[in-house]
Order: sequence, then structure tokens, then C-alpha cells
Amino acid sequence: MLDRRDFIKAQAVAAAAAAGGISLPAAAQSSMVAGEDTALKWSKAPCRFCGTGCGVMVATKDNRVVATHGDMQAEVNRGLNCVKGYFLSKIMYGQDRLTQPLLRMRDGKYHKDGEFLPVSWDRAFDEMASQWKRVLKAKGPDAVGMFGSGQWTIWEGYAASKLMRAGFRTNNLDPNARHCMASAAVAFIRTFGMDEPMGCYDDFEHADAFVLWGSNMAEMHPILWTRITDRRLAHSHVKVAVLSTFEHRSFELADIPMIFEPGTDLAILNYIANHIIQTNRVNKEFIEKHCNFRMGQKDIGYGLRPESVLEVRAANAKDPSDSKPIDFDAFAKFVSTYTLDYTAELTKVPKERLLALAEMYADPKTKVMSLWTMGFNQHVRGVWVNHMVYNIHLLTGKISEPGNSPFSLTGQPSACGTAREVGTFAHRLPADMQVANPTHRAHTEEAWKLPKGLLPAKVGYHAVQQDRMLKDGKLNAYWIMVNNNLQAAPNSANETYPGYRNPENFIVVSDAYPTVTASAADLILPAAMWVEKEGAYGNAERRTHFWHQLVNAPGEARSDLWQLMEFSKRFTTDEVWPAEVLDANPSYRGKSLFDVLFRNGNVDRFPLSEVNAEYANDESKDFGFYVQKGLFEEYAGFGRGHGHDLAPFDTYHQVRGLRWPVVDGKETRWRYREGLDPFVKPGEDVRFYGNPDGKANIFAFPYEPPAEEPDKDFDLWLVTGRVLEHWHSGSMTMRVPELYKAMPMALVFMHPDDAKARGLRRGSEVKVMSRRGEMQTRVETRGRNKPPRGVVFVPWFDSARLINKCTLDATDPISKQSDFKKCAVKIVAV
Amino acid sequence: MPLGDTVGLAPAGELHIASLLLHVRPDRQPTVRTAITAMPGTELHIEQPGKMVVTVEGPHEGWIADRMTALHLLDGVFSAVMVFHHVDRVEGVPPSKP
Repeated sequence: MLDRRDFIKAQAVAAAAAAGGISLPAAAQSSMVAGEDTALKWSKAPCRFCGTGCGVMVATKDNRVVATHGDMQAEVNRGLNCVKGYFLSKIMYGQDRLTQPLLRMRDGKYHKDGEFLPVSWDRAFDEMASQWKRVLKAKGPDAVGMFGSGQWTIWEGYAASKLMRAGFRTNNLDPNARHCMASAAVAFIRTFGMDEPMGCYDDFEHADAFVLWGSNMAEMHPILWTRITDRRLAHSHVKVAVLSTFEHRSFELADIPMIFEPGTDLAILNYIANHIIQTNRVNKEFIEKHCNFRMGQKDIGYGLRPESVLEVRAANAKDPSDSKPIDFDAFAKFVSTYTLDYTAELTKVPKERLLALAEMYADPKTKVMSLWTMGFNQHVRGVWVNHMVYNIHLLTGKISEPGNSPFSLTGQPSACGTAREVGTFAHRLPADMQVANPTHRAHTEEAWKLPKGLLPAKVGYHAVQQDRMLKDGKLNAYWIMVNNNLQAAPNSANETYPGYRNPENFIVVSDAYPTVTASAADLILPAAMWVEKEGAYGNAERRTHFWHQLVNAPGEARSDLWQLMEFSKRFTTDEVWPAEVLDANPSYRGKSLFDVLFRNGNVDRFPLSEVNAEYANDESKDFGFYVQKGLFEEYAGFGRGHGHDLAPFDTYHQVRGLRWPVVDGKETRWRYREGLDPFVKPGEDVRFYGNPDGKANIFAFPYEPPAEEPDKDFDLWLVTGRVLEHWHSGSMTMRVPELYKAMPMALVFMHPDDAKARGLRRGSEVKVMSRRGEMQTRVETRGRNKPPRGVVFVPWFDSARLINKCTLDATDPISKQSDFKKCAVKIVAV
Repeated sequence: MPLGDTVGLAPAGELHIASLLLHVRPDRQPTVRTAITAMPGTELHIEQPGKMVVTVEGPHEGWIADRMTALHLLDGVFSAVMVFHHVDRVEGVPPSKP
């Protein structure tokens, strides 16, 4: 026994050394992949959790996932796994996994106040279809909606987009990625004409400086953090700046630590731009050839309900996206007021730190990688702040080359691959096209083989607006898939819950577990998870990666894809398309939506014989053709040749993902630069080809304060966020006993002096209260997060402690993304 | 950070072995080394300036995860991530040596 244990340990050590780039004496090297038991079948898959997109190997035995480990062959993580990834094998086996559709019933019929009773899929869809038809007939397409997900597989998002836009003819489709990436996505389009980063994770191994703008990578992107740490430790000239409104784990690595007053990140960025200009380090050639300058709209409000005081007072709440062209001199003059003195006073950051940070950007010899997630995006000026970080990279020409990288990190595994690239937003079509653009609609109608003029032009309701419309009774039939919005949405008790329980509304939730959202619904549909279906995700660095179905879903749980496609069979064009369209195109009469959307000669193009015989594929078996391949190839047609090129479907099952654009089998690591991006012609040097003039747009924006600040009644800033052990709303991780035990409840992290001043101490039971709602928990004064005086931090993973009852539904008026990082609370003893 | 050894959770006779890659502050390496020595079930195998390879052995995943997270959050440790994990069914062998 001791021999075997030592042998396994030696293998373990060798694997870790290899992953860590530590060379070992030859005898200790082992080429065997970790712990492979020959009775187990191992297959590759992306991790189910964050936007890093690590590769894992998944072992199955007797139709059950029994083990996972980091995939040595995956470029993203090379065998490394964080603690959440470690427990992937357990996330599908929580005790309360949903296995049957559940409908609220009373006396044998659906009733809004009934008890949940199990029903067959047939009965579930009968009720759902009848509700949809009732609402469509009474109020039209504006009254039906869907809230989807950055955790949908690529083909699920694509099928949903077809069903909503071409089937029900509404753009009331928005993803939960509205809560996390909208500000980033909107700023990408406004700056570059195309979404998603121009760099990739390879930048970690080339940068001389890393700046974390409000992101806590040590806990939220731990594997990427390992790469930064490695680079920092191996090269003494490399420096790391960490900026936040409170001290957290990432500060351990910081050479320039910076705690700033909430909301003043805007000023810091303008100061840096000013510093670059004042010290003559603008890359003049670069901005002349590759940049335009624009003055952005000011005083744009806070995305609150129109009658709210802040909206009425705002001069430009109605046209927040407007801007006008200016020149470099006007831009320079605009930022000139952001002096070191002014900025230090506003932000409460010491001058020498601001200067050191500015020098990272200004020094032409320093390759700098900027990294941000929710600190920037969940911000009432999220679009502005994203623009401002591009400004400083563009002014210096530090972009689209190894190590010089403004890098927008993603939280969900496929906010990029599904929500953004497929376009499951209320204003989008695939490949960065927009519903409001008639040329884009016409192109989509052609690709989808639809009658001309069918697709709706009106932008649909975004996330926060969907909640308001549900509450107000304007949105009445609503399908929520793969998200936990009642826990995630801001100001949830006032603006989310009432809409779900409004008797005029029929709410359907598809999920694997009975989340708080599911328990507020009228119909719950049990969903298949992760490797219970064939899937594809796209991570933060544009890497599209696939997995096969490895096990069956339990009971009657079915994938979201199956649900969407099956539901479409319940409707005919006669029932949901306008008479004029059918009169003009009679060949479409009397067809089911399933026929029009999925049996259209494209999606049903690939026969079952093309499914890999080694793996199950429940959806394809059910529908009689290779559905995932058909959907993917139809979708890929939108982007190929336009800079969104995806490789052929079958390739992705063989490799550990590829970064688009993939041209002639070769992935693109850096976009927009000659020699690195196949779409930039020789002699062009840099071309931001998403914009017609090939130039990027630099925008001038001022500092404007947050929507709500602490005052004498609510005297503390509330910042919400995540922790290492739990992912998002905890619907998966809180059901893994080990992760639950590691962190069973959401605490309020506060400064010990703030606690003392309120007669509290570590462990005190308290209420966190805002003007909108309250939540009860315990105080933590010695935790991993150390807020300064005046700030508290509460994570949102705990369904028993809903911090979003306290938050404010203020959004960035341009991106419509909620600000979860800044509102006012008070803390009182219970 | 709970390091309680709830052996009650352990299915009888399982031995879990995992290896972790640690990135540490070079000037804090001695402190981290001491902390690892004091932590039951962990063993330091390789050390380089800024990097360590540590194995963790225990009766169940929770044991491994607790130590992994404790190390990841330890002062002086930048990151602790897992590379290798193996489970063996064992008859009549104590779960872990201290």
C-alpha cells in the first residue's frame, strides 16, 4: 500500500511540476496523465463555471460523471484547476435536482396561486402554448419575452434567437449577460465597430505591467491570476497595479495598490489621459492614422424609471448615446482639468500612486495589460469607463500586439460565445448586427429563409426593463432559461418579484435546480446540465470550444435546446405571423414554427450518421437530424469572411478550442494588426476594420457621480460581488457539500472601526438596510476582504440572504446594465 | 477558514491524493513553509523561489478543498491551484497521516 501511495504521490508531484514549469530530475518525470483509471472513460470539456474557459477532462462510469481534472492539453490552464473546477463532477448530483416539469395547480387546473405538481412534458407545453397564444392574440408580440443566458450553449442561444425574433416576432429577448457584460459589449462596438477583445491570454506572458481595474482576479479568475503571478515572479521588472474600492486578495501581488472612492475611476482614467498628453507621450502617428475623436453626451441620468427625480433632472436622459466629432486638441483641452491635484482629492488616492499608475501607460517602453470585469461594467457610467480605458491604450498605440492589451474579462462561460456573438440581446442579431438596421435584418431574413420584412425592427425590452414591464403588466408571457434572476436582479423585492407574481403574467423557468427564481414561477421545466448534452461555449479570449454529451440527464430533464425546439412545434405561422406576410408569401402558410425555423434545409442538413457514434446525442436522436451541427453551421455562415470566422463544426470536437477569426484552419491571437490578423492587408499596419473608416473612436467623457451616495441616514457604501468558493448565485456550488461547508453564508465584510462605532463586533447579527429593502446576516471584520471605513462588501451567492433586495435598479443609460457596486446602506444590530 | 476534520463525511476507506501548485511571495516563503508543515495532510515536495509543489492527502474531497482554499488565502500565497487528483478505495488503512 505504501508503495502505491508513494507512486501516486510521485505522479502527483510530477504533474504539478510540469504544470508549473518546474524542471525535475529525469527519473521523476511522468508522462501519464493524472490518475487515469482504465475502467473510466475520459473526454474533454470546458469548465462549466467562469469566463476563463479552462479545459477539463471528465471521467464517466456507468452513466455518471465520477471525476474531473484540469486538461494538460488545454492552452488556457494546462492542467490547472481552481477549487470550483475541482467539484465539477458533483454539480449535477445535488439532492434536489429537478427531474419533472412542475405546474402550479389547483383543482386539476393551472392556477397562479396553486401548489407545484408534477406534470408530463405534454401537459406542460399545452399550458405554456395556450398562455403564449392567449397573450399574443390579446396584446401582440410586445407582450411575450425571454430572459436567457451567458451559460446557454451557442446553439441554444441561436435557437432562442430564431424562435423569439422569427417565430414570435419580438426582440424581447435579453440575456443575463446584460447584468455583466453589456457595458463592455456596447463600448467595443462604439469604439471598434466590433465586439470582443483584440488580444488574448497570450498577453499574460508578454506584458510588463498589469493593471486590475476593480477586478479581483485572485478569487474570480484564479487560473488567469496564476499566469499573471508567474509572469510577475519570473521577471522582476514586471509590475502589478490593483485598483478597487476595498482591499481584497489580489492586493497581495500589488506593487501599486490603490483604494479609490467609489465612482471616481472615471477621474483616474481622465487623469492618465491628461498625463500622457501633458508629458508628450501621445503616439501622434498612431492617433493620426488610426483614431477619431468624439465628444460624448453628458448628464445622461441613471436608467431609473422615467418619472424618478434623477431622470427628470438629467438634461440628456433621452439621448444618452449621442456624440459629436471633435479633434485631438479639443480632447486634450477636455481632459486637462483632470490634474494630479484634482484627481487625488476626488479619488482619495495618494498622488505618487496615481503618478506611478499613469507612468505605466505613458512610458512607451512598458507593455501594459489592463484587466477589468464588474467594477467597470456594473457601473452607471460603465460604457464611459470602458471607453476611457481604450482611450489611454489608443493615445499611446498600446493595442493589438503581444502584451499591450486592454482586456475585458468575462464572468460567464459563454457570455461571449453565446450572448454576444450569437446576439441574444434585445437589440442584436448574429455577428454584431443590429435589429434596428434594415440591411442587417434583410441579410438575416435571407440566411434564415424567411419572408422579407418579417423580422421586427423595434429594439426589445432589456433586463431591467423586462422586470418593470412584468410588474406593470405589459409583459405577460415570460420564459427564463439558465439564470437565477430573482436573486441576481437589482432592487429585486420591489421591481422583480412583483412581476413574477403578477396574476396577469405566466412565468416559465427552465433550470436544473429549484432556485428562488423557479419557486416564484408558474411552470418549472427541468433542464439538462453541462455534459448531459452536446455543447459549445466561447470564453473571454474568443476561444470557441466544444464538448460531447457524456451522460444522460436524470428523470425527464431535457436540454434547453430540446425545450426550445419542441415548444416551436406548438405554433403555426397562421397563428403567430401577421396576415400581410402570409398573403404575400403563401408558401409559408400552415407551417409549424419548427418547420420554418429548424427544418428549413439548413438546420436539418446533417443526418444522424454524422453524429460521433461513441457519444450519445439525445436532441438529435429525438428530432431525426444532427441539430447542433445544423444550427452551428447556419449560424457560422453569418460571420465567415467578415472577421467573425468560425472553423468547421467537426474541427472543434477534435481540438481544445480555437480563437476566432479562424481562417484556413489558423486561429487569430491578435486582431486588427498586419501580420497578426488575416483581415488586415499588407501595408495597412493597423486597421480597425469593424468601422467603415478603419479607425477607432476616442470619446471624451467627464466624471459624473453615482446614482446614490451615502448620507446621514444610509451612511455606508454597499459593494456586492462574488467569492472564490461560489459561482454567481450559488445554484450549483451551494449544492456541493464541500463548497457549502467552506462558505455556507454571505457575510457583510466591514472595517472593524465601522463595526465598533455601531456597537458591533465580528459575528454580530445585523440587518443591512437600504431605502428599498433589507437583508439579515453576520458581521465579518477579519475576512479576506478588507473594506476601508465607509464601505461594506456583501457577496450575492446566498439564496437565504438576498442582498439584491438592498441594491438600486440604476443602470448605465447607454448599456442598460445595472450598477451593483454603488448604493447606500446602513447596518444595524438585530 | 474551517479546517475541521469532519471524518463523519468520509465514505469508508477512500484515500484522496492531490497535488497543488503554489505561487508564493519569495520573501514570505519560510512562513508559508512553516504553515504547510503545521497543516495536517499536506506535504511540501518541491520548492523554487516563488513556487511550491504541495501534495494533500485525505479521506474525502472536502479535506482536499479545505486545504486548497486555506492555502490559496494564506498570507504570502498568491495562488494555490490543483493539478492532480486521484481517489483510491482502501481497505483497512487509516485515512491520513498527520
